[in-house]
Formats: sequence, structure tokens, C-alpha cells
Amino acid sequence: MIPAKKLLNTLTEHWGVLELLFKRFKMADFSLKDVQNAIKQKQPSWSNERIYKETNRLLNQDIIIPLAKSSQLEINRAIADFATFLLQEEHLGLAQEISVLVDDLARLGNRLAKAGEIEDYDELRRFSRIMDDRVRKIMKLFAHNENAILNIVEQAKADNAVQSLQKRYQAVIEAFDEYIEPMLEMVDIRGDFHACFNTIEAQISAQIEQIDRLGKSYQDKRMLEQLRTRILEMHLVGRESLRKSADMLMPLREELRRNNLITRQAAKVLGLVRKNGVDNMLSAVQPNFVSDAQRFSLGQQRHIVAYMAGLVDFEHDEYQLPEHDDVPAYQSPHIPDYNDVKTQFRKRFKKASKKAQPLLSFLDESYPDLEADEMLFLYQKLISDGDLEISQSQEKVKIKIAQQHFSLYPFNSSIADDKKATEQ
Amino acid sequence: MTDINLDDLTHLQAINKKLTSGYHISEQDTLMWQELDQHIDAYRALFNALGHDLQHDSRGFYYFGSDESTPNMGKISRAIALTIYILIEHYANTGKDPMRALFDEVNDLELMQTLVQINKHLFDQLEIFSGSDLRKDVYLRMVRLGLAREVENGFMLQAPIYRYIDALMEVNEETYLGDDD
Repeated sequence: MIPAKKLLNTLTEHWGVLELLFKRFKMADFSLKDVQNAIKQKQPSWSNERIYKETNRLLNQDIIIPLAKSSQLEINRAIADFATFLLQEEHLGLAQEISVLVDDLARLGNRLAKAGEIEDYDELRRFSRIMDDRVRKIMKLFAHNENAILNIVEQAKADNAVQSLQKRYQAVIEAFDEYIEPMLEMVDIRGDFHACFNTIEAQISAQIEQIDRLGKSYQDKRMLEQLRTRILEMHLVGRESLRKSADMLMPLREELRRNNLITRQAAKVLGLVRKNGVDNMLSAVQPNFVSDAQRFSLGQQRHIVAYMAGLVDFEHDEYQLPEHDDVPAYQSPHIPDYNDVKTQFRKRFKKASKKAQPLLSFLDESYPDLEADEMLFLYQKLISDGDLEISQSQEKVKIKIAQQHFSLYPFNSSIADDKKATEQ
Repeated sequence: MTDINLDDLTHLQAINKKLTSGYHISEQDTLMWQELDQHIDAYRALFNALGHDLQHDSRGFYYFGSDESTPNMGKISRAIALTIYILIEHYANTGKDPMRALFDEVNDLELMQTLVQINKHLFDQLEIFSGSDLRKDVYLRMVRLGLAREVENGFMLQAPIYRYIDALMEVNEETYLGDDD
């Protein structure tokens, strides 16, 4: 057993070295050489012999202990915890730590209630003490975690931090996901935490009532009352601490989310640009600017090139060629409308059908102003019209129309009775 | 129908000249910005009638919207876009908050050289080979477009840069114009 005072003296003497080891190696192991180097750094004037002696002193007093089956060393866990406390180098605990303690508290609450039932006051006192201990532990964890979060926030906010954005915020994200969120869920008014405390509080209150009623072991009542107050306080402190921690972390988390989005997108786009080329990737999205001066000039060579390139794709509007049927036949302006001629023809030959009338002479009489070819055009139209009843003569006849002589087998207006005979 | 009293629009000429050249009027251009802010309806109606599309961005700047750029302006715009995205990446890589650093930090020649060195491959495509090329081809043009202002030993970016950040968020795989078409 090493006297506490001797240990404290060594600690005071070598605090610088221990702090250095603690900060440099965190919780990891180190070699004997590292310890000696640390001592040398702190006390450059010391001789090698002295350094060797001091190292042995640290080892002998179990401040530094060898790792099992290894020549490496580590700081005694108890000393390390103490240093953590002194240096405020707190690491965020897990939400599970607290929830385990709370579960234990619930178990102890049940045992306490049972002890009360069988009026075993020793047991009652014992459980009350253990519960008190657990409550203190939980309170300590809350305070510890709040400090740790404060550290995280400060680190993340430090502008000159060398770490990358990703690393810097990693702690924030972890703190949020692994501590704040599960804890908030736990202390939620409908959560387990709350229900558990209600039960414990009811159990303790019942015990106090019973003690009051029976008038036995009055000191125990005071202890139970204290425990009850402490549990209530713990509940309150926990909620307060969580709210504070969440408030500290929230803005960072929001900032990170936004930054992450933009940074990630920038990295992604640059990746695409590297792969596909600047123009291919950015042309579609680049903001456009008005530039009247340039818009109306075609000055530089590349404008001309662009213009020529544009010409390659140039196409006339497609010209629609007319269909054969769409073209109206040429008609001399003198020719009367065929329909009029037809009606006139019908009117004329409706009754007088005893004798065949030559069509051409009808046309010559009706339209004396027409040229010969124009008259023949009408003639041709009339004979090919299926609506009209006409017949062709058997003999060749010479006819003079419009000062022109024709010899043909003329068509005549048909004669009703021997229509069939004349048709060929 | 908005009644426009041309006598009220004291800076019309200056504003028109700036905007038609693609300039973004932001809060740093105090006089013009205030004037636009006060008579926004009149200006909007007037410019609309002239065939311009006066845009007001709530992040603090005015500009003429446009659907397409001339080939030259398009090239400049792509160079600016690339520079800004590289800046964001650079700030993030050096552990800074990119959005804060983008508007708070002075972009000096040293930074430009670093950017060009790191991303030589990309800037080569835009015929930018050195920090001073970047200064001349991108930063001075950003000043001319109202995207940045010149300060003692470099340039500070201004609010209209948000147009590029908006554009950044729009990029995705589908935006890629393949060589095959």
C-alpha cells in the first residue's frame, strides 16, 4: 500500500510529464522511452541517471503501469480519470450508460419496496444508499456529457481548426445521433425514463407513509425523503442539461447539413466536369447574361466559326410540291363556265328530240365569239359528260366553226327512239 | 397601368447602361440599388416595354434575365462557374465553412495561383494557365458583371454569386450534354 501523501507528492512533482503523456497518447499505450523523453522535455537539465530514477519512481508507485503481456505502459486508470477531471478533457458518454443506470434504479426501487413490506429496515437503508449512489452517478454523467458537448461545440466552431470540415463536424453528428437523440427520446414525457421515475417516486412515497404510520425508524424517513428529492432533481437537471446540449449542437448541425449539401454537390459536379469536360457539363446550367454589345456584333473569328458551324445545320423550310390533282386545268378566260353551257344545252334539247342536232352547230350558234379551239374544248367536255344523252353520227361531216373547217364524225344530241341504234 | 414619371428616375441612364451590359446591381452599388428599390415598379414596366426582363433576387441584387448567352458570354459564364465551384471545394478541403468563406475572404493572387495549380486540367480547357490569367479572364470579368468587387489586394465576391450556387444545385447526371448528339 503506497501512502496517499507520497503518491500525491509524486503527482504534483510530475504533473507536467503526466499531462504531456495524457495529451499526447490520450488513452493509448506508450513505451518506457516515451516516458523518459517526456521527462527530459520537461526537465532538460536532468541527467540521464536522474531521469531513469524518476521513471522508476512513477512505475513503482503504480502511476504508470505496464500493460499485460507487453513492454508497453499506460497511465493508471484511476489517475487517468482524475486527470480527465482536472483537465476537463471529457469524452461524451453513451446514452446507454445512463439508461443502464436508470434500469438499475428501477430494480433497486423494487427491492426497496419489498424490504419495506417485510419491515427489513437494514435492507431498506442499504438499498436507499445504493440508489442514492446511482442517482449521483447519473447526475455526474449528465454534467460530464454536457461538458463534453461544450468541448465538441467549441472545437467545431474554432475557425483555425486544421481538420477538414467533414472531420470537424463528425463529432457534432455523433454527439447528436448517439447521445442527444436517444436521451431526448428517453426523457420524453411518454418515455420509459418518466414512467420509471413515477414508479420509484410512488414506491418511496409509500415507504415514507408507512414509516409515518408505524412511527418506526424515524431516521430512515429523512433518508428516503432526501432520496426522493434527489431523484426529482435528477430528472429536472437531466432535462435541463439535455436541452442545453441540444441547443448548442443544433445550429452547428443545421449549418453542417447546408454546407454538406453544397460542398457535396460541388465535389460531385467537379467530378462530372473532370470526366466529361467543362463545356459539356456546365453549358446547360450556367447563368446567362445579357450582353447587347456582343449580341449584335460578329467581330471575332470564333463568332464567324460559330456562325459557319450554324450554317451546317441550316435547312430551308420544306417546299410543298403540289399534287397532280390539285392543279386546275388552264382555262381561257373567254370560255363560259361549263355548267352554264350544260344547263343551256339541256334547256335547248329537252323537247326537240325528233331530229339529231349537231353539237358543234349548237355551240357555234350559242357562243359566236369563241375561238375554234375554245369551242372544241367545250365540245369535248360535253361529249365526255355522262349525264347528257348524245350520239355519234355514222358519217363523216365537214363543219365550219369560227372560220375553221373540221371533218369529223360529229356527236349530236340524241334522238329518243333510235338512241340505242346510234350508240356504238 | 403604371404611370412612369421619367423625371423621378434620376439614374435611369446609368442603370440602363449597366444592366444592358449584363451587370448585376447589388447592394454595394448604393445609389443605383436604392433607386431601383424605390421605383421598382416603374423600372420594371419601363424595361419590360423595352423587351428586357428585369429580375429582382431577394438575396439582394437586380439583373436582366436572359435565356441564352452569346458564345463568348457563355464561355465567360462557364469559367466563372468553374472557378466558384473550385473555390467551394477548396474552402471545404481546407476546413473552412465554404459558404462563409466564399463571401468573407479576399481572393488574392496567391489563392488564384493555388486554384489554377490544383485544377490545372480543368482550367486548361478554358485556356487559363496561370493565376494572372484567372485574374484577368475571370475575376476582372466578374467585376464587370457585378459579381465581385475589387478590394485592396484582391477581390471579394458578392451576392449575385448565388446564381451560380443555384445553378450548382441544378446539375445532375442528366444535365450532361453527351458527345453523341
